[in-house]
Amino acid sequence: MPANPATCDRFLSQDFVRHAARRRARRERLRAGLVLAGTAVVLTGLLAIPLYLIGALLPWPHLPAEIGARLGVLLAGSARAAACAIAVALPLGLATAMFSAHYAAPRLRAWLKPGLEILDAVPTVVLGLIAAATLAPWLKLHVATVLALLAIVPLALLAAGMAFGARVRREGWLPLWLLPLLLALVVAATAIAARSEAPAIVPTMPWNAALVGLALGVAALPTVFSVAEDALFLVPRAQSQAAFALGATRWQALTTVLLPAAGSGLVAAALLGLSRCLGETMIVLMASGNTPIGGFDPLAGLRSLSAELALGLPEAAPDGAAWHGLLLAALLLLALTMALSLIADAVRERLRRRLRSGGSAT
Amino acid sequence: MRRSSGDAGAWLIAGLAAVSLALLLGLLGLLLKAGLAPFWPAQVDEIRLRDGSVVLGEIVVADAVALALRTSELERIGGAYRRVPRDEIAAQSQPPDADLIVLDDGRRLYARGDADALVAQAGGAVSSHVQPNALGFFARVAAAMRGLAHFLGSAPVASNLEGGVLPALIGTVTLVLLMSLVAMPLGVATAIYLHQRRGFGLRLVRGAINQLAGMPAIVYGVLGLGLFVHGIGAGIDRWFYADRLPVPTFGSGGLLWAALTLALLTLPVVVVSVEEGLARIPAGLREGSLALGATRDETLWKLLLPAARPALLTGLVLAVARAAGSVAPLMLVGVVKLAPALPLDGTFPYLHPSQQFMHLGFAVYDAALASPDAIRGVPRAYACAGLLVGVVIVLNLSAILLRNRLRDRYRALES
Amino acid sequence: MNAAFQSLPPSAASSVVVEETALRTEALSLWYGKRQALSDIDLDVPARRITALIGPSGCGKSSLLRCLNRLNDEIAEARVAGRVRVGEIDAYAKDTLVHDLRRRVGMVFQKPNPFPLSIHDNVAYGLRLLGIKRRRELDERIESALKAAALWDEVSSRLDDSALELSLGQQQRLVIARAIAVEPEVLLLDEPASALDPAATLRFEELLHELAQRYTLLLVTHNMQQAARVSHYAAFLHEGRLVEFGDTDALFTNPRVRQTEDFITGRYG
Repeated sequence: MPANPATCDRFLSQDFVRHAARRRARRERLRAGLVLAGTAVVLTGLLAIPLYLIGALLPWPHLPAEIGARLGVLLAGSARAAACAIAVALPLGLATAMFSAHYAAPRLRAWLKPGLEILDAVPTVVLGLIAAATLAPWLKLHVATVLALLAIVPLALLAAGMAFGARVRREGWLPLWLLPLLLALVVAATAIAARSEAPAIVPTMPWNAALVGLALGVAALPTVFSVAEDALFLVPRAQSQAAFALGATRWQALTTVLLPAAGSGLVAAALLGLSRCLGETMIVLMASGNTPIGGFDPLAGLRSLSAELALGLPEAAPDGAAWHGLLLAALLLLALTMALSLIADAVRERLRRRLRSGGSAT
Repeated sequence: MRRSSGDAGAWLIAGLAAVSLALLLGLLGLLLKAGLAPFWPAQVDEIRLRDGSVVLGEIVVADAVALALRTSELERIGGAYRRVPRDEIAAQSQPPDADLIVLDDGRRLYARGDADALVAQAGGAVSSHVQPNALGFFARVAAAMRGLAHFLGSAPVASNLEGGVLPALIGTVTLVLLMSLVAMPLGVATAIYLHQRRGFGLRLVRGAINQLAGMPAIVYGVLGLGLFVHGIGAGIDRWFYADRLPVPTFGSGGLLWAALTLALLTLPVVVVSVEEGLARIPAGLREGSLALGATRDETLWKLLLPAARPALLTGLVLAVARAAGSVAPLMLVGVVKLAPALPLDGTFPYLHPSQQFMHLGFAVYDAALASPDAIRGVPRAYACAGLLVGVVIVLNLSAILLRNRLRDRYRALES
Repeated sequence: MNAAFQSLPPSAASSVVVEETALRTEALSLWYGKRQALSDIDLDVPARRITALIGPSGCGKSSLLRCLNRLNDEIAEARVAGRVRVGEIDAYAKDTLVHDLRRRVGMVFQKPNPFPLSIHDNVAYGLRLLGIKRRRELDERIESALKAAALWDEVSSRLDDSALELSLGQQQRLVIARAIAVEPEVLLLDEPASALDPAATLRFEELLHELAQRYTLLLVTHNMQQAARVSHYAAFLHEGRLVEFGDTDALFTNPRVRQTEDFITGRYG
């Protein structure tokens, strides 16, 4: 091998470099092994949950019939709480997402998103506390007020929009203007209700599904919001611009272009919100009264699958019938929430693919 | 016509957005107010009734028909509430010379003039003695600060009705630290794996992690109890602590199992945010490093991970925030109302992983629902909740700020 | 696709008589999935000269560069056949360590990609990888690399500043300093001047000439004038094939293949 003249004046000796290269190759293999091992631990740990639940229930135990009936009541309770919660979270979450993605001034949007992230971060035990200690006594007196507000507020907003909407050209900061008006409306309604001797509607129980729904709805609101907002924001700007160019108003662009294009994302938002409501424990535990009552009365108490787990498992002896019943409840809860989030993922994936391929809006 | 109906729709949406905003602000406002209120020195009221008797105490509940007062707790804590119908009240005043004496065991005494005699009658050491009605505004603020410091820095008395939350604070912090020690390396390793791999296996792993991220927290607790405590823990006891059985060592809920459970719960958070951070680094950096003769591994450790440091930090912060706020799984794996000892102390081996522990979030639940004295319990629950939310919000805000910084940094790299 | 080129024997394509070859490809082919990006490239790159790779966009110039330091390994569906020899080593042999190969074959990219580190640490990066840790030794080598890249005078007083604060032209020279600090034998340059303004480009071309006294340079460029100005040899690629290779002056003034002539005179490209 003729000496390469170009390497003659170099610092690095070939031996040194070759040696270093071998050492580094060994180190790389070692570290790659560590990364693989870490990943394996994580996957095992996470997969252990469903596998453990199924494994612990095999061979399928002979559960007393009353456990089946109890599971039915618990499931009904979870469903009732989740239904009440989604009735709160869905309209608020979707509307806030639509506003944030389509109307909001960029600076308001920059505050709105982190704000709702903060709301998401509030521990649910705190929401449970507020529901049980502050909201419950209030709601006991004001069920009728809430119902009245539910009717009045949208009508008032629509009327205000009809009356003043044409004069306000830019809606970017509108919620901040509406905020004091809404507060005044709530205060006025409460004051009027307080003047009557007895509340018009008395809830069956002080801790009830409606109360759970309010607190749980607030907990699920950020989930619904962020999934829906992402979906709406993913719709290419050009599509709504095209609608504007054809003379559409903002509202028309929203309803004819954005909502159809992001529709499946909104469905996914609802599903994920529902999944979150079904799995939530602390709020239900603190605000539902934990009485196993079936039926559909939103003003009656309930006991959910998750609360049953939190209350029953520490007391149950491992491998007893009650223990197996509780594991079955956990499996049921897991299957329900996973099914919802799987469907939501599939729906969302379809949306993403369609938007990426530049599919048409309708 | 078409135009105005559209505007009405926009107003409806904006109004509902305003409701969301109001919920957020109202929630934070309520927590701020109710969380700090327990520290604000209360007024001592003197109420003269129509039958000539005098009631001295703190008004704790007031409604349209009656007042409820806490009067001197001579025998036991929570044992001296008195309901006074409004129509029996002849006169109500807040005498500036009224004394509020707090005893070491948390009992409160209200006196006017003969304070020493009252203390002697109640028996017990005096912890503080003030005349709250005479305090000026700044003295009240100072008293509130002292109350807050006492709350943060001392142990609870009278089975969690009074005193501080220091053990719960230490329990929470120890738990979260232990959780991070497990979750961070594993989460970062998984994120690296996901970052380096392509193809079907990757989609499978990522899908599994996404799905598992959505599992209810309580189900993690079920695993913690069933597998960690009753499975592994009982096994450890049989092999290593057989002499102590049937008293369980690791076979009952404790710090270690709780930390492992929370680590599983927070792993997806870490993985997602680290992987996102790595994915956002411009490809040119990676290729530049490889072209210089760095191995993939060296590129990762010397260049990509340092560049993604804010993402790692974001992952950690979000995981800590999530762990600090989740209570449900802990109820199954070893959180208790009152732990006999701290999990972290001065005796060897300093950290006691099999020990049960107290937790701030559980203290909220316990004080709100399981307190023997509801009138003390709810404000105390709010105080704990305010503290918890304060910590979690600070953590989340710093995560948001970090994320923005990361974005700016990558933007600088791209240009 | 023109049948006339396919029938050309390889010897006709590379008729350069070179005293020393730094890098040689033999029947090098590259596929991205099912698409063939390079077909049977036989190329001898002369040592310590500047060889320009020219051709219409998408002809495989950059792909060829990325085969030479095996950067295509990072693309999952890329597949290579044929041989690449760098000095005395076979790039695709089983016992060749990729990172050692890449140290021998430095690369400079279209867009300057300084690491988000200080100027000093950017140049030290490759040296530290080799296990050189002593401060004095590092400093010496960093200084000589920066001098060789004609950047020392501009940055010697602020070595600890972030590399991202430099101008684009400075960044590109920093990237060169970073590459030559680990003493490569060959430098691959993938349109290195395309992000630079005319003044910076001129300066950069001067630098290339100085570098050519010590290193073998393989330069991909879109700019015909630049290729004619800078390079000693030029290779014309078309649709993944090496059409013509020869002395730059000869190739530009008197191309032997009509397709080369069409391209150079701007009839397509």
